[in-house]
Parts: sequence; C-alpha cells; structure tokens
Amino acid sequence: MLKVVSGIFVGAVVAALLIYNLAAGIMFREVPSQFGMEETIARIQHNVLKAGNGWALSGLRNAAKPIEMSGGNVLPVMMIEACSTNYSAPILKDDSLRFLSNLMPCKISVYKKHDGKVYIGLMNAQLIGGLFGSKVGDIMSQVAADQAKFIQFDASQPAPAMIKNAPAASGGSGGAADGGC
Amino acid sequence: MSSVNRVYLYNRYERFWHWSQALLVISMLITGFEVHGSFTLFGFEQAVNLHTLSAWSLLTLWAFTIFWQFTTGEWKQYIPTLKKVDAMVRYYVFGIFNHAPNPFQKTAEKKHNPLQRLAYLALLSMISPIIWGSGLLYLFYSSWASLGLDSYLSLGVVAVIHTAGAFMMLAFFIAHVYLTTTGHTPTAHIKTMITGWEETD
Amino acid sequence: MLPNHPSEMLTTRFVLPMLAAIGLLAASNSFAANAKLETIISPAQAATADRPTIKSTADHSKFKLLDRDFKTGPEVTKACLTCHTEAAKQVQHTKHWTWESTDPKTGKVRGKKNIINNYCTSPVSNENDCMACHAGYGWKDEKFDFKAEQNVDCLICHDQTGTYRKLPGFAGHPVYKRVEFPHGSGKFVEAVDLKKVAQSIGMPTRSNCGSCHFFGAGGNGAKHGDLDSSLKHPGKYLDVHMDEKGLDFSCTTCHVTSHHEVSGSRYDAAAAVKGPAHIRGKKDETPASCQSCHSNKPHHEAMLNQHTEKLACQTCHIPEYARNQIGTESSWDWSLATTMGLDGKPMAYKDSAGRRSFDSKKGKWEWDSYVIPEYRWYNGYSDYKVIGDKIDPSQTVHINEVGGSANDPDSRIWPVKVHRGKQPYDKVNNYLTVQHTAGEDHTALWHNYDWQKAIAAGMKAAKLPYSGEFGFVDTAMTWPITHMVAPKHDAVDCAQCHSKNGRLQGIEGVYMPSRDSNRWIDMIGWTLVVLSLFGVLMHGALRLYSSKMKGQHK
Repeated sequence: MLKVVSGIFVGAVVAALLIYNLAAGIMFREVPSQFGMEETIARIQHNVLKAGNGWALSGLRNAAKPIEMSGGNVLPVMMIEACSTNYSAPILKDDSLRFLSNLMPCKISVYKKHDGKVYIGLMNAQLIGGLFGSKVGDIMSQVAADQAKFIQFDASQPAPAMIKNAPAASGGSGGAADGGC
Repeated sequence: MSSVNRVYLYNRYERFWHWSQALLVISMLITGFEVHGSFTLFGFEQAVNLHTLSAWSLLTLWAFTIFWQFTTGEWKQYIPTLKKVDAMVRYYVFGIFNHAPNPFQKTAEKKHNPLQRLAYLALLSMISPIIWGSGLLYLFYSSWASLGLDSYLSLGVVAVIHTAGAFMMLAFFIAHVYLTTTGHTPTAHIKTMITGWEETD
Repeated sequence: MLPNHPSEMLTTRFVLPMLAAIGLLAASNSFAANAKLETIISPAQAATADRPTIKSTADHSKFKLLDRDFKTGPEVTKACLTCHTEAAKQVQHTKHWTWESTDPKTGKVRGKKNIINNYCTSPVSNENDCMACHAGYGWKDEKFDFKAEQNVDCLICHDQTGTYRKLPGFAGHPVYKRVEFPHGSGKFVEAVDLKKVAQSIGMPTRSNCGSCHFFGAGGNGAKHGDLDSSLKHPGKYLDVHMDEKGLDFSCTTCHVTSHHEVSGSRYDAAAAVKGPAHIRGKKDETPASCQSCHSNKPHHEAMLNQHTEKLACQTCHIPEYARNQIGTESSWDWSLATTMGLDGKPMAYKDSAGRRSFDSKKGKWEWDSYVIPEYRWYNGYSDYKVIGDKIDPSQTVHINEVGGSANDPDSRIWPVKVHRGKQPYDKVNNYLTVQHTAGEDHTALWHNYDWQKAIAAGMKAAKLPYSGEFGFVDTAMTWPITHMVAPKHDAVDCAQCHSKNGRLQGIEGVYMPSRDSNRWIDMIGWTLVVLSLFGVLMHGALRLYSSKMKGQHK
C-alpha cells in the first residue's frame, strides 16, 4: 500500500515538474523570420490590417528604447499591439472576465538575437484561452487562428512601409481607427 | 551482528580532506567540460570562474594535506606494493561474484589495498602531473611571453593535454565511485568515509 | 569627473550652486512671479559674463576683416589666410585635400581619387557632385588647381553656425543662391550667410566632421555603419565617450590634429597598439587609438588583459554597429540600375524603415541596423584595388583586403563591416570600370540610363581603355569598425565567442576554449569514459545477479 501511495506521489511530482518545465514552451512560441526587423514588423502590421474580423493596430512599442535612454544596450525588440473589438468586447462585457483585460491588446514581439537573426514571439492564445472556460476558449481559438495569419508572409510582395505610429485606438486618446479598441 | 569490529580508520581531517576534494574534483569536472564546450550549464564565464576558483581551492587543500601526510606519517599509506596484487585482481574478477572473502582487510595502519595503492600511484604520478602541469600553464597563459615560454608552447596543445588528463580523471572518478560500493554492504565504504569508523565482520 | 577647464570649473563651482539655490527658492515659493525670478538670475548671468565664454583667444566676430558680405567661399578663405598664413599650405598636404594616400609598403597611390569602391564607385568624371565633400572649392574636373590656396575650404570644418552646406552639383561650393534640392523635390535650400559663418569660426565639432563622414555614399549612415548623424547628439548607450550628457568627446578628442593633419586614418591604421597609456609630452604616433588613453592592459582581471594580445578593444566593446534606426547599407547592387518601372519610367522605392531600397538610377540596396560585425585578422594594412587594377571576375573582387594573420604579432582580431555589391567591369580588360553617373549631360547614367555611354565617358575621364563590353561582378569591401563604443557593461560576453557557433567561428589560428577541441582526444576520451561506465555497470550487474543466485540456492 505504501508503495502505491508513494508511487502515485512520485508520479504526481514528476508530472508537476514536467508541466512546470514545459509550460513556458507551450504558452509561448518563437518563430524565426526571413526578413529584417523593420520588414518583419511592417509585414505583420499589414497582415493585421488585412486580417478583417475587426483587427486594428493599437500600437508599436520599442522595448529597447528605455534601456538605451538609461545608457544601456540591448538588441532591438519591438512589440506590435493589435486588437479586435469583435473579440475583446464579449470578454470585457463580462464582469467575471474583465480581469483578462491585462492580456490586452494582443501583442506580437519582433526581436533580434545574437545570431543576427530576427525572431517573432507570440503567445499561444488558444492554450491560454482554454484555461478560462469555454467562452474565452472559443474566442481565443479564433484569435489564435487570426494570429497564425499575421505571421504568414508572402515574400513575392514588396516590403510595405512600417507603420510607426499606429492609429490611435478609439478607446485611447481619440482618433477614429475603424474597429480600434 | 554483536560481534562486529569497529575500527577508527579515517580521522576528522582525513574525512574533511576527502569530501572537500571530492566536491572540488566534481566541480572541476563539470565546469571543465563546460569550458571545453561539451554542454552549457553555468555559462562560459561563470564556468571559467568556478573552475579557476576550484583549482586554487584544491591547491590550497593539497598544501595542507601534504603537510598533514608528512607530519602524521600517513604518506606511507601510498607506498606502492605488488604484494597480493594478484589476489586482489582475482578477487575483483572472480571472488566478488562468488562471495569469496576480500583478501585485504583494512586496518588503521593499512587503509589501502595493494590495487588501490597502484591506482593512487597512477593518479599521483601520471594523471595529476598531466592535469596540473597543463592546467597551470593554461591559467598563466598571459605570462608565457614574460616567462619565455611562448615560443615553445601553443594554447591548443596545452588544452589538448589538459583535456586528455580530464578524461582520465573522469574515468578514474567513475571507477572510484563504483568501487566504494564493493564493501560488505554497498554503502559500507561510504559510511566509513563519513563517520570514520569501519565495521568489519 | 574633475573639471579641467576654467569655464567648466566656473560652471561647477559657481553656476550650479546658484542654479540649485534658484531651484530651492522657486520650490519654496511656488507663486514667485517671473519678474522676481529674473532679478535672481541676472546677477548670476552678470557674473558669468565677466569671464569670456569662448575657449579660443580670438573672437572672430570682432574682426573687421570678417565684417563684410562675402560673395564666395574662396573670398572667405583669402580673409582667413591673412592671419592664418600657413593654414592652406597645411591643408594641401592632407588627404582631405588631395584625396590621395600612398601605400607605405608598395608606394601605390590610393585614396578616394584613385580607388573604385563598391558604393558610388568613383568620383572621377563625377567631381561636380562628389566634391561636395572635398575640403575645397571648384574641383570639377582634372584641371583643378591643387596649389591655389584660396581654393581651400576652411568653413566646412570650422563653421559653428551649422548653416554651411555643400550640395552635390556645385563642385564643392556652398549654396550661394537659394536652390531647389533635390532637383524637382519642391524643397529649397537657402543661400548661406557667409559673413555669419566666417564670424562663427571655431574648432571642428562632431557636426563638422559629420557633414561628410556621416553621409558617405550619399545617405545617412550608408557607408560606414559606425558613423552616422546619431553621433551629433549621442547618448551613453551609443558612444560612451561621445555621450552628450557625459564625456561629450568630439571627433578630434581622439583624432588629435596637428598642422591640419588629422590622425587615425583607415588607410594606414594602428591595429595593435601596445604598451601603457600615453603621457603628455610623449611623441605620440597613435593618438587615435583606445590604448593611447587606456593602455593595452586596461582591465582589472588578468584573464581579460591577456585577450588584448589577440583582440582589438573594438571586438568586445562594439557589440553591434549602426546601433540606431538609421542603419547602414549592407549591399549595393548596381546591376539593377537602369531597370525601369512597368510604365517604362524611372522608379524608386523605400524599404520598410523608409530607407532607400531601389532607384532606377542606382540599383538596389539592402540595409540593416544593430549589425553584429564580421571579424577578421587585421594588422592595420589594407591592400586597395585602384583604377586599372586587374580583377578575376570569376570570384568576388575584394576591393580592399585587410592584412594580418594569427601569426603576425601586429595583428588583432577586429570587427569589420563587409559591404557587398555588384558593379560594372570591363569584360575584356578585366578591371572595374569608372562610370559617369552624375550630371545633366547625355552621357550621365542618372540622366540617360545608358550604361554604355556612362562607362565610356567615365573611362575616358579616367584615361583607361574601354573595350565596349561590360558585365557585373560581385565585390566586397571591408571596413574596420571603431566608433560607437558601448559602455563597459555592454561589452560582448564571453560565451558569444567561446561557443561552437559564436561570433568568432570563422577566425583561424587561435585555440579558443569551448569553440575548439581536438576531435581525436574527444573521441578517445569519451570512449574511455563510456567503457569505464559500461565496465562498472557490467561488474555491478554481475554482482547483483550472483547475489540473487546465491539467495535462491540457499
């Protein structure tokens, strides 16, 4: 009996450790980009604008800038913020889900590593959404499907211009981006 | 079990020396092979720092230990002998499987069996000089020019010799750890090295 | 930092406490009227006005000679030479004037005038445009008088107003009349006020040097990668020495200049400076080197200091170059020039970051920012291809090959920018061609989009035979990187080179722990280890088995 109990206990511990170890890898994705920093960003931004489903750009953040301002160096890292009211509205209407606003807007980061290559970092929206019940799960799986489109590039198309100041979202300080949030 | 004989084999300094040396050797093996590029654990810079720190610690430990060996006369434990070596070899190759008695009984005067003495001789006369000679040259690479060594040595050769020594050390370590399990119970030798007391039937 | 200049001393000792006092006062009385504040400030201003604020002993705005409306640059130069009698002669001995440099080893004459690079290729036959960056006036063709002292341009280096601009198309003259630039853009450049400029004279600042060196190859940051307009007002992260809020070095702080000869040329560089930091009074051969201030043993740790025997300081302390959004060109493909848009008209477009990407006049460019350098052994010597040098078109033509190797005690591993390109060459004579690109005449490439005419005109100006057959060949140029030094905590960390696929993976001749190993030793070693493990495991298994058997028999 003791053996069974301790076996279950050990199994549970091992499983917990495994999950703990793998969770980070499952929750986030990293994809190498064939383009440079700006072109990767620009192509994602234009994919977001083309995606429909209410998607709009809500910002472009340079996370390396504050570090440079304080005198330090870090390889470029930019965060594209995108949002769709189609998906955000139902969540934000529900009092029990409003806390999920801290996952908004949807972020895609583009960064360079020391191998000189550019990478795209994404959150696994489907998996994370699934943790919060079927309503959020459904919404987030749609988000995940759209997200997959954001990083599909058509290399035969010329490089679009990077949108440096994404149109201010209607929920922010004015501006009338269609479908902004 | 009441007729058990207890012999005080390893005094406090000896045990301290053994275990701190074990710790340092393990740490040098791990960090050394990381510096060599076999894997990444601490990161190169940290590995180099730990490796160097361990090296100096071990040298210091040895300085005290050599002093201890000579003042206590314990150095005699390492005098090699060929007497009964064949019996020891026969024991490890056959006897141990047939539960034949160990031909060597540890006493406070003779702590190492003849085969052990030969192994330690090899360690002291071959592996150690290889590792420490090349290691110190490696460490003082920046002083080669001022010592007039730079025209005779290349870092590549020194590194290769050092690595070869490290492999020998690793092999020794494996054998050594395994042989600790060959007492009358698998953990008997290890217990002895912790408590200092050897239990014999 | 200790103030080492009287005016700085004044600032720290007097003005700062004063300002602090004002701050306190203002804070304690938030309703203080502006007028009241002014009465507090004015004594301080009066006190500072008592001492001259300019460092020079001469205030050029007080010279009668300069108090007139100059019509042209040479007129100003003549005025300058009235007092600075030797200045023009000095300048005329420098590369800034001759655009020439003699190879100390071979006697070969190099310099901008003689080499063909893989950016704009050559100034020959394009002087009217290119000489916007010549420290002189009127070099529009080979007939330029290199002896005429009034042709030396003092202002491009000494103007302090920031209004003195030389544009392509004027053979090195500034803008005397309001002009639309670029042509057809609807943007205008105002005529320069030469009097104001002449009266502003001072020592060269980062902007002065940068007016040419930041914009090489016709674009901000395009050529060098470690020099661009971000260095006008750099932050600490970009350049720890030039940091505007910190040490605030100008270019000449390192490129110490005597008789107008600026030290630290790329043509003959000091790649491996040894010994302690230089002291005042010592005859200084290499003032423009890190070691001249820092010595070749600048670290606290011996382990790091020993690296200086193989590495240039720049290798670790410039982790990336072009560390800004401006970026730098990594390649220029001339073979696509003269390609027209679908409508048959010339076209031009930009890349995602807004940098030039294609132009029917010039071909295609690629840019990058925060570039991780390539690395080469370099001993300060570069062998340049000059106009007329034979090439092997079957492989990449190295326009300059940096010298050095692991065995050469004067070589160090240096970070370099490699600029790759494709440019025209004479298929029969096997040399790179000079092409007439700039201009409004019918042979200029950027006017008529005709390679044949452009090359024929260029080669004629270069006095080289042209077979009439041209092709495009891959070229590469290697630029040692030395500017944009990062703060020390941003130096490249150990593992970026000490690893299997690290930054220095292509560097030969040194054993690098973690990168290198002897294949045989590793194979034999691991075999030994595996056999030992296997041996003890077998021995242990047999022991286990035999004791089980014994237990059963009992």
